Order: sequence, then C-alpha cells, then structure tokens
Amino acid sequence: MGTDILEVSINFAKMVAIFLLMVQLVPLLVWVERRGSALIQNRLGPNRVGPLGLTQLLADAVKFLTKEEFVPAKSHRFLFYAAPVVALLPAAVAFNAIPLSHPIQVEAFEWLGREWGPYTFLFQGYEIGIGIVFVLGVSSLAAYALLLAGWGSDNKYSLLGALRASAQMISYELALGLSIVGILLIYNTFSFSEMVAQQTGPLTFMFFGQETSIGFLPNWGIFFQPLGAILLLAAVFAETNRLPFDLPEAEAELVAGYHTEYGGIKMNMFYIGEYGHMLVASALMVTFYFGGYHIPFITPEQINEFFVSQGQGLTQASLLTALVLHLSFFAKILVFLWIFVWVRWTLPRFRYDQLMNLGWKTMLPWALANTVITAIIVLMMRSSWS
Amino acid sequence: MDLSSLMFYLLAFMAVFFGYFTIAVANPIFSALNLALTMITLAGIFFLLDAYFIAGVQLAVYAGAVMVLFVMVLMLFDLSGEVRAFSRGLMSGIVKVGSALLVMLLILLSVLGYYGERLEIGAPPSTAEVVQPTTQDLAILLFSRYLFAFELLGLLLLVVAVGVVAVSRIKGGTHARD
Amino acid sequence: MPGIEHYLVLSAILFTLGMVGVMMRKNVIVILMSVELMLNAVNLSFVAFSHFNADIKGQVMVFFVMTVAAAEAGVGLALAVAVYKKFKELNIRFFEQLRG
Repeated sequence: MGTDILEVSINFAKMVAIFLLMVQLVPLLVWVERRGSALIQNRLGPNRVGPLGLTQLLADAVKFLTKEEFVPAKSHRFLFYAAPVVALLPAAVAFNAIPLSHPIQVEAFEWLGREWGPYTFLFQGYEIGIGIVFVLGVSSLAAYALLLAGWGSDNKYSLLGALRASAQMISYELALGLSIVGILLIYNTFSFSEMVAQQTGPLTFMFFGQETSIGFLPNWGIFFQPLGAILLLAAVFAETNRLPFDLPEAEAELVAGYHTEYGGIKMNMFYIGEYGHMLVASALMVTFYFGGYHIPFITPEQINEFFVSQGQGLTQASLLTALVLHLSFFAKILVFLWIFVWVRWTLPRFRYDQLMNLGWKTMLPWALANTVITAIIVLMMRSSWS
Repeated sequence: MDLSSLMFYLLAFMAVFFGYFTIAVANPIFSALNLALTMITLAGIFFLLDAYFIAGVQLAVYAGAVMVLFVMVLMLFDLSGEVRAFSRGLMSGIVKVGSALLVMLLILLSVLGYYGERLEIGAPPSTAEVVQPTTQDLAILLFSRYLFAFELLGLLLLVVAVGVVAVSRIKGGTHARD
Repeated sequence: MPGIEHYLVLSAILFTLGMVGVMMRKNVIVILMSVELMLNAVNLSFVAFSHFNADIKGQVMVFFVMTVAAAEAGVGLALAVAVYKKFKELNIRFFEQLRG
C-alpha cells in the first residue's frame, strides 16, 4: 500500500475516487443513450430540463430516490436486497485494476514541518501483477447478481431471465478468455501497465527475427490481433447483457427479466452495474487493442518535457502529463461507449438458439484458431532464420 | 501485528464462518452461496500467499463457473419437497461428527508436531530472502515436466464433456416405469 | 506474515467441515459441494506449502486439482439432474436403489 501515512491515505482515496468516477459516469451515459437513441431514430429525446436535456439526469435521480420501496411478498428479503449491491461490486473492483493514465511522479517536498519523500502514484486503484486474470475472475462473479435477483424475487419471469443470463455469461466467458490469449502471447505479460507501455511509438514488430517498423501506423494491438479484437468486442456485448444479446431482459417474452420486481434506487443500482460493465469492457478494449492511455506517436516523456519547458516544476509537469493522457484514455473509451449505444439501437435481438450457436459454434472455434495461429506466427517471427 | 497477518485472520475467520454455514444451512441454495463466498475468501488467501495466478483462476473457475453452475441447477429444481436436510439418528450423527473431529485432530497433531520441531511455532519462517516463483515458472513447469499430466487432463475433460452430454440426453435409464 | 501452521490449521478445519457435510447431509448436490469444500481445503495446504518452500510445484498440483474438481462437478450435476428429472428425488438414500 505504501510506506508512510500520506501515501497510504492517497492510495485509499484513489480507490474511492475511481469508484465515484464510475458511478458519476452513469447518468452521463444514460443521457448519451437517450439522446443517441433519439438521434438514431430521428426524434428529439429529452430536451426540456436544462440545456440539451442535460439536467434530466438530476431529475431522474430524484425520481428514483423518491420511489416507493417495494418488496414482493413471498421473496427472500435478504437476497432481494443483496442482489443490487452484488451487481455493483464486480464492475467497480475490476475497473479499479485498470490503469487510467501515466503514473505521477511527486518530488520530495516539505509540508507541516517534515519531509515527505518522493512518491510514485499509479493512476489506478491498485496494481496487480496478473491484472487480466483478476479482471476476468472478478467480472465472472457478476452472474451471481442476476441469479440472486432472479431467484430472490420469486417471480417466474425473473427466474427465467436469470437462468438465461447466467447460461449466456458462462458460455461467452470461454470465447472472451480465448480471444485475449492471442494478445497475451504477443505482449508476453499479464499486467495491464506493461501491456500499455509496449504500445508506444510507430508500429514495430519482429519479422523473421528482424525488427521492422511501419512509420505511419501507431503501435497498437489491433494491427496484430484484428480477429481477437472483433471476437472480444462481440463477447463483451454478451457479457454486459446488452442488445443484441439482451435475452435476459427480453421485454416481449420476459417482462423485464431478472429485474422485473425491482424499482426505484434498487433498479438504479442494476443500471449502474450494467453501465459499469460497459465501462470495464471499453477500458479493456482500449488497453488491449488501442494503445491504452497513449496518444499515438507521442511518448509521455515528450509531453512531460513540453510542460517542463513551459516553466512548470517537475511534480506539476508530471501531474499535467497524467491528466492529458487521462483525457486521451477517456476519449478512446467514449468512442467504445458510443459503439455500445449505437449497436443497441441498430441491431435487432437474437433468438436464444441463435445466441448459443453463435457463442459455441462460431466464436469459440474462431477464437481457438486465432490462439493457435498467433502462437505459431509468434514463434516463427521471434526466431531468426538466418 | 502487521497488515498481512490481520488480513489473514480476517479472511480465515470468514472462510470458516462461510464454510460452516455451507454445511449447516438447510436450504441448498444458501449452502451454494455460502460455498461461493468461501471460495472467494480462499482466493483472497491465495493472494496473500503470492499465488496470484492460482487466485485469479480460483475466482474465474471455481467461484465464477463451477459455483454458478451449482446455483443454476439448484434454482431449476423445485426444492419445496425437501424437508429433512440432515441424516437422522443421534448415535450415527455423533459417530460421524466424532470421526471427522478425529481426522482433524490427527491432521493438527501431525502439523503441530512436525513443524513444532522444525520451525518453532510462533516465529514465522523468514521468506524475504527466498525468491518467490512467478506465473511464468508455473507455465514453464506445466508445459515441460508435467506436459503428460496436462495432456491427460485435456483428455479427461473431453471424456467428461462427452459423458455429460450423453447422460443429460438419456431417455430410458434405470427403473424405466413406462 | 503468519507461519505455515496457521494455513495448515485453517485447511484442516475446512477439510473437517467438508467431511462432516459429506457424512451428514442428504441432498446429493450439497454432498457434491461439500466435496468441493474438501478439495479447496487441500488446495489451500498445497499453496501454503508451495509458498513457504518457494517451490512452484505445489501450484501445478492445485491447477490439476481444480481441473479435476470442475470435471467432477460437471458429471455429478449432470447425473443429479438426470435422476431428478426422472424420479423427482435428490436424497442420497435413493441412489442406493438405482440399478442396471
């Protein structure tokens, strides 16, 4: 955690701040979703409350908080209340493990009459060496929230929705895990930060043992693993239970699926969990395939030097660099969040057998093939043939 | 008491607590949920022991897949018919619990006896100078020395997959009453 | 950092809980879960030995145990579901009467 009280408390505050960041993004995403759907369907969307309908979120929040507290008569009360909380946790824990920007170097300074040594603060909740396995493991726990909600609310539609959801999540987790293996083979690491650090500069790779570079492309994972990126994107759509894979809450068949009986703030927590999952999925896509927080062709050191040459101190320059890179990360994430919205309002829903066929008979074989071919190519390219 | 031992005692207490309720709760669904919580706390203990990869796999495979499967199957069944959760008979119960406690006692005695001599209980062994192996070492070992066992496991999984499909598609079976 | 005996004691307690569960419970699925608990206790002792001896072989063993446990859970659940669908029965005593 840290060596002295200041470092420990800042590291702790960071985790809380990242959780709040995730929660605060949700109203914004709801606004994007509603305005975006209106744009796609050629209507106006919410536009009365505030400029462009932006304060609609505030009105929504007040409405959610003042709703009646409702519990079905024959439900399991504890499970019914536990499910929304469980829905919130995995996304928050997983999002904390993803690096959001470059680490901040703080020079030694004097404060309150004592020396505070030089620090390095990572721009993420906590650094775990095997970040990817951790995120996969934690996000697989999200199935419990759906099961608890479905079984706890004692409603046949809820139960059917929950069973569909968990079967779907287990099925697509396989394809998701296998589609990542290719990128792991290329970057040779489980750690997010190392993976991001390898994606700077122009596109560079080993071609039969010789280092080759293509100047006009950034060094992003998508150019090594296009198939893996597509498979991962499709799998995270299924993992987040969004259209076109939102069978668990298919309103024409199941009313509202596992959250049929939920209302008010509890319903809202399910929403936060779902958008949190979208956020984690977008962050994973960006980190694996689109260079993480890096701006193409510009290294963090160059930005840092620019700020130093503008007359900033080393600490301020480092902080500003981190902020600039953080904005770059969020710009990339927002593109993916927009894709989530865009797809939702464009594609129709799958049938359940189509969903399972796609998962087991199409995506799994392609992901396996991608893994094997990547392994062979990596082995061939790394060994010199002279 | 430092942070890691505090974490260990907290996690150990939680593991025993949830483990107890796994076998003590009458409703099998609550049993399964408690077991899932036990596995999550065990993953935390694996993290403390620097076995990061095993901890992640424990979360993804045990807590995320196997236990979800259990919970799903239990939710599919109608459990209202099940009244007696435990086997009946006071004497046999005492014998069963007693034999289990005897096993625990034997394990504890062997552990404390063996390590009491070698390590002097209470003084944790210094592991600072020992280099802890990484995930890469695990993979290298798995794909070199234990390759045969690894392939055998793949075969086992294949057989199990075929067997499960065969069992679940079965039509007649034992006692066919038609 | 607590010594190895702490981990082994925890492992022994969990193993005993699992053992009591296997012997006392009547629901087949709960018995399967108790077996999983016992396997987890064994995994814990493997990882503890692996850590304190700085030897990765224990973790390889844990890997194998996990795979076998997952396979066992799959087969056990499939059997339980098949029997339940046919006879509406999950009591372990019932399984004694299965034949042919």
